[in-house]
Amino acid sequence: MSFIDSLLAGLQLVSNVEAFLALALGVAIGVIGGAIPGMSATMAVALTLPFTFSMTPITGILLLLGVYKGGIFGGSIPAILIKTPGTPASSATVLDGYPMAEKGQAGKALGMALWASCTADLISNLALIFFAGFLASFALSFGPPEFFTLILFSLTIIAGVSGDSLLRGGLSAMLGLLLATIGLDLVYGTNRFTFENPNMMGGLNFIAVLIGLFAIPEILSMVWNPASQDGVARSLGRNKVTFQEYRRSFKSIVRGSFIGVFLGSIPGIGAAPSAFLSYSEARRKSPNKENFGNGEIEGVAASEAGNNGVAGATLIPLLALGVPGDVITAIIMGAFMIHGLQPGPMMFVLNVDIIYGLFIGLIVSSIFLFFLGSVAIRGFKYVADIPRGVLFPAVLILCIYGVFAVNNNIFDVGVMFAMGGVGFVMMRYKVPAAPFLIAFILGPLLEDNFRQSMLMSGSSGWVLFRGPITWFFWTLTAITVFAIVRAGIRATRHQATGTSQP
Amino acid sequence: MKFVKAAFIGAMALGVTATAAFAEYPERPINMVIPYGAGGATDISARTIAEPLGSAVGKPLVMSNITGAGGATGSVAVQNAKADGYTMLFARVGSHSVNPAMKATLPYTLDDFRFVTVYEINPVACAVTPASGIKSMDELIAKVKDGGVAYSSSGVGSLLHLAGAMVLKEFGIEKPLEAATHIPQKGGGAAATAVLNGTATFLCTNSSALASFVANGQLVPLMVTTPKPVEGFDAPTAADLGKPALEQLVGWTGIAGPANLPDDVAEKWGAWMAAATADEGFRSKMEARGSVIELMNPKDANEFIRGQYTIFRALVDELGMRIEG
Amino acid sequence: MEDRSIQIQLGIGAIAASVFLIAVAIPFWVSSPSNVPNVILSPLFWPNVLAALTGLIGAGLIVTSIARPRPEKPDASDVDDRPAAFTRLAIMAVIMIASVLVMPRLGLVGTAMLTFAATAFLVKTKHPRSALVCAVVIPLVLYVFFAHIAGVAVPQGDFVRLP
Repeated sequence: MSFIDSLLAGLQLVSNVEAFLALALGVAIGVIGGAIPGMSATMAVALTLPFTFSMTPITGILLLLGVYKGGIFGGSIPAILIKTPGTPASSATVLDGYPMAEKGQAGKALGMALWASCTADLISNLALIFFAGFLASFALSFGPPEFFTLILFSLTIIAGVSGDSLLRGGLSAMLGLLLATIGLDLVYGTNRFTFENPNMMGGLNFIAVLIGLFAIPEILSMVWNPASQDGVARSLGRNKVTFQEYRRSFKSIVRGSFIGVFLGSIPGIGAAPSAFLSYSEARRKSPNKENFGNGEIEGVAASEAGNNGVAGATLIPLLALGVPGDVITAIIMGAFMIHGLQPGPMMFVLNVDIIYGLFIGLIVSSIFLFFLGSVAIRGFKYVADIPRGVLFPAVLILCIYGVFAVNNNIFDVGVMFAMGGVGFVMMRYKVPAAPFLIAFILGPLLEDNFRQSMLMSGSSGWVLFRGPITWFFWTLTAITVFAIVRAGIRATRHQATGTSQP
Repeated sequence: MKFVKAAFIGAMALGVTATAAFAEYPERPINMVIPYGAGGATDISARTIAEPLGSAVGKPLVMSNITGAGGATGSVAVQNAKADGYTMLFARVGSHSVNPAMKATLPYTLDDFRFVTVYEINPVACAVTPASGIKSMDELIAKVKDGGVAYSSSGVGSLLHLAGAMVLKEFGIEKPLEAATHIPQKGGGAAATAVLNGTATFLCTNSSALASFVANGQLVPLMVTTPKPVEGFDAPTAADLGKPALEQLVGWTGIAGPANLPDDVAEKWGAWMAAATADEGFRSKMEARGSVIELMNPKDANEFIRGQYTIFRALVDELGMRIEG
Repeated sequence: MEDRSIQIQLGIGAIAASVFLIAVAIPFWVSSPSNVPNVILSPLFWPNVLAALTGLIGAGLIVTSIARPRPEKPDASDVDDRPAAFTRLAIMAVIMIASVLVMPRLGLVGTAMLTFAATAFLVKTKHPRSALVCAVVIPLVLYVFFAHIAGVAVPQGDFVRLP
């Protein structure tokens, strides 16, 4: 079958009301689910899964994909409005989105998030359609040594999100790495810092840590200083993103999309590191670096592009290899299996109509996302106008419900509160939270892949330099570390001269 | 941590009134704990049976995924719950035969649960990549003897971990732990990927987890452990290869309650499961995924699980695989 | 707090944490397999590396703070009455701990209502009446959503059983 034939077969499959209705419904469910902290895109997809059992395969899968895409965007809404990332992927959006909302530019931030999300989504989908085969074969050349070097490089993001002090950022990262060691050891299965508590054996729940670190400190700082609630009456969020601003951020959006496509096509990394990498790259390249972290619209654009760029690309390993890249695609893969479809190279031969039907649906989903997202923004942005004395307790309750629901475990609510305390102390001591989070995600991956590499090679370190991919990332890491150190020395010198001439 | 633990124990009792009248059981929704994540084999199996089971029970079944520590977190939640039949567990081979056999550090034992049924058996298959050039178990064993062979698993103490060692042992490798390297991964998907990208040489896992890779020609099956051949797997059975002992190496899913679950509750579950597994739609969905539907009553289920545990425990002790703190 | 004292306090804290981890926490609370004859890549290795790095960063914080003698302007946004702020913080901590403890008995909904009201009055909300209404309505709405739409087994408590 030629390309056109396949395309027509796919079109035939999706050109019915149900398919489009499912897609739109999915995007709507996703946006709402993503916007509820603790619900997260993952849970929204998991909850929708049982409803797809009775649908035709294509309708069911489009529904799930719609939820996924909507969820990744929806997560940015609470990230901007109440400093609580709705999904882990939108944690980077908090860094500049929330300061913008505090300045009364919530509408602008949300608008930019939507524009960036849709653009990145489209780029990601196109990458899936045109480069699936190529990127998939690339993904398979990633064994533990390659992963180790990639993650080592990704850890340099910490420098980009540390704010004004690299050492404090480093301290934050160390804290994240240490807390991530809680749980069972990968290789021997022995306990690490579990204190005989079965709830600790699985490690600290990521979403509980995430919400504890971002949302709870805000509430605690209002408890610390209740007067702050009436001082800054946040002006109405009735402002829109201009085309001018979109054009200014366009470069960052495209860069973020490609970072997302690259990281998305490799199984096991996920959207959150991609958003942070995109953010730190945008900051590094931007002329107004200082404004990043204080409400820079380009920062919002870059992070949202980074996480939505992953959304289409994670389907590459799923469809081309049958390997799910993250939890969400694992659930979507479950839906394929339930309908008797087996993702993998043969699917491009046996069910090519479904593949192309999905492609068409994905492109349409970017458009749906744009319209439904605009509606959601209009509805949600007035959250910024609710008096804080009512809003913050409500956020607290929402966090309790959400964190409980993630794993049906009250212990996680306790983890969230404990992390909230840690986050508040960090805030008082001006230690940035973002490096903590990145380290918490990447630390276990770094250790596991290092030890897997050592197991593979029988403890010979040379395996970490075994091929061009590892060389590439070693070089990249070396260059980045060199640049960071040089910038650090310059900053110190600058400060020293500043001291002598007050 | 004590208060959190106490809080947790209480939570899982889920608001039980002191005078629960069992005559009317069930009078409200039943909380079904799935100790593994959404989209996994246990989750899909549980959600498939929930449909016919819900109509047999007559009250809604609320499915809760409580994941972590290879199924231990969710299992402990049910172990500590009130034994009134309103909190039940989807037990799995990993959490309830391999883990107890391998982990000395596990916070529960088999005695902490009462099994009301086992309803599904999953054949185990061993597979390699076509690129490895291995076409039979004999070739794999020859290669293991040469050295440098590794196998992947979904984690320490998982079925895959034990299966790799058990298969090698049965095929005459004296010290499988030294002859082949075990490379643990995080989760079943990652374990299969590790074989695909050459990190590990082979893996032995539930046939359903391998079905799509085998159908796509990405993996070559070498053996299945069930007495009957598995559809879609062009591979001999363990008995064909003269290793009938490996027939014990199968995956299963069952339902369990806390240890002192009353007899009448267990009996009711027996009846409900008989009705649920008779459902045509359920059977066809499960069989399409390569499962064998085999309903056991509470007594048989207990015997089956303990039998498997004893065999695994003996092997673990012989090979020194037990995980001690 | 000025920047310099922050750096010094953080540095001292980091070094203390590092010493505590290496001397007490890791030997006691991280176990290495006792029955594996030759442990390669001990589970203790990575935590020890991290603890050592934490100590190094702590030292770095102290050194740079000494090299930076310039006192910076005090944080303008801080509160005037610190003891009262600490009291409020302590009360909030009690609210949080209590909410985790009573949740199994009172159920998630009841706990959420009490937590909402307590927090709102702790921060002396300007809209006490609407806060009270929200304290009742929001937990109920969330309950309906999570229990009936999302199918989550929301803890019910011993006293009231919601449909």
